[in-house]
Amino acid sequence: MNEIKVIASREIKIGFRNPWAYSFMALFTIFVLSLLLINSQHYISGYNSTSATMLNLSLYLLPLMSLMLGSFSYTSDKEDGSWELLSSYPLTTFPYIFGKYIGLVVVICTIIFVGFGISSLVGVAFGITLYYSTYLYLLFFSLMIAITFLTISVFVGTIAKNRWQALTIDIGIWFFLIIAWPTILIAVLGFMPYTSIKAILTVLTIINPAELTRLFVVVKMGGGITLGPEYYNWMLWINSEWGGLVFFFIVIVFISLFIGLSNIIWERKRLHE
Amino acid sequence: MSNTLVTINEVSKIYNNKKTVNSINLDIKKGEIVALCGGNGAGKSTLLRMIVGTILPNEGSISVNELNFYEHRKEYAKTIGYMPDDFQFSQSLTAFETLFYWAKLRGIDKTRVTEVLSEVGLIDDSQKQANSFSKGMKQRLMFAQAIISKPSLLIMDEPTNGLDPYWMQTFVQMVKDLKKNDQTVMFSTHQLHIAEALADRIIFFNRGEVILDGYINELKAEHGQEGLNKLFAKIFGL
Repeated sequence: MNEIKVIASREIKIGFRNPWAYSFMALFTIFVLSLLLINSQHYISGYNSTSATMLNLSLYLLPLMSLMLGSFSYTSDKEDGSWELLSSYPLTTFPYIFGKYIGLVVVICTIIFVGFGISSLVGVAFGITLYYSTYLYLLFFSLMIAITFLTISVFVGTIAKNRWQALTIDIGIWFFLIIAWPTILIAVLGFMPYTSIKAILTVLTIINPAELTRLFVVVKMGGGITLGPEYYNWMLWINSEWGGLVFFFIVIVFISLFIGLSNIIWERKRLHE
Repeated sequence: MSNTLVTINEVSKIYNNKKTVNSINLDIKKGEIVALCGGNGAGKSTLLRMIVGTILPNEGSISVNELNFYEHRKEYAKTIGYMPDDFQFSQSLTAFETLFYWAKLRGIDKTRVTEVLSEVGLIDDSQKQANSFSKGMKQRLMFAQAIISKPSLLIMDEPTNGLDPYWMQTFVQMVKDLKKNDQTVMFSTHQLHIAEALADRIIFFNRGEVILDGYINELKAEHGQEGLNKLFAKIFGL
């Protein structure tokens, strides 16, 4: 436990001294603020064009940011010799992987909180108000997207040999899961028998954390009707008393699977290289 | 109780179907300072890394203090301090922060960190960023990291690279002081004069095999100094 704490503390220190963190923070803040100012005439409540645009902004920006921040952190340890030195220490692989992950989660969550915080303060100064629950859902969405893609970045950092490889894999994942996903979804479902569409849609939605989180937040913000009849059952369970718990359970399983798999692969590489 | 600290038994390492280390058998006694000498690609660093446990042998076994890496990983690692050849420091951490991080992973407190930084002559530069250090200063920081836990076995890969003559002398003295504490040292070097100045015993490697293993005093007694230089030149193919 102490080892996880030590490694996480170092990661937080390095993260907040990394110019990239501040560049991302500034970029995110500017985008959120721009959107708020553009819609300065409206009181933003629930799921509407402004909140949908803010969701999309987070959806495009945060996954790539998280993937790069996380995968570069792990691969740079391989490149600069840190991992080799650490593997001579009385330290098993899991505290290293999980400690770095926790540190990166703290850094990225701070970036998001600061981005939202500054934007909101400036927005209030200009007389723009976000309805309280809308604000929280947007913040929640951003945090969940960042954390789940940071989890994927641990896996990328495990399999990539260097930062260039990590960058290539990151862009591939981002493109596949974010940009091309709707097209792929339509194409795949188009080939499936009608009776199996719902089941396949459920599986595909669960395996894409961006899609799952987007659905959850849109339904909670009252925008479920925009999703169409295929998502009726989703609306029912998300709005039920178990909706939040089931969502968090899926996220925990997702995180556990990726961290666990990364640990196995990292340990295997350590023992067999 | 056995006086042998490190036992290397029929150890081989295979990379790309080629044995970079080929069936090495060595016993290293407690308190010895052992130099591994040889040209590039001879297998010295590979052997050191296998003893440390950062890579593992494809054949054979290595034990340190009768501990085996697979079965006693944490205890095994606690007996060893390692100074790698090539290391790049984080851009944003100071020397003190860097060393304290490694110390905390070994359960060592701040007092010892300050003590070791003084020993290696970096206490006045401890608040500077480690990656801004000269090569020699970086080597000293890596040495500090290796000795901070007072390990039974200190393993160093090309430890004198980049050290100026003053720090070379100081380094030689620091390593000899470790011997007084019954600590065992194994290091690799291309430089014969370093091996002679520091080591009790020299092991020559070529193409992954041991071609000469002897105590410096005995080799000098047998060949004389000039004979020793010629012997090394012959081994290095000069």
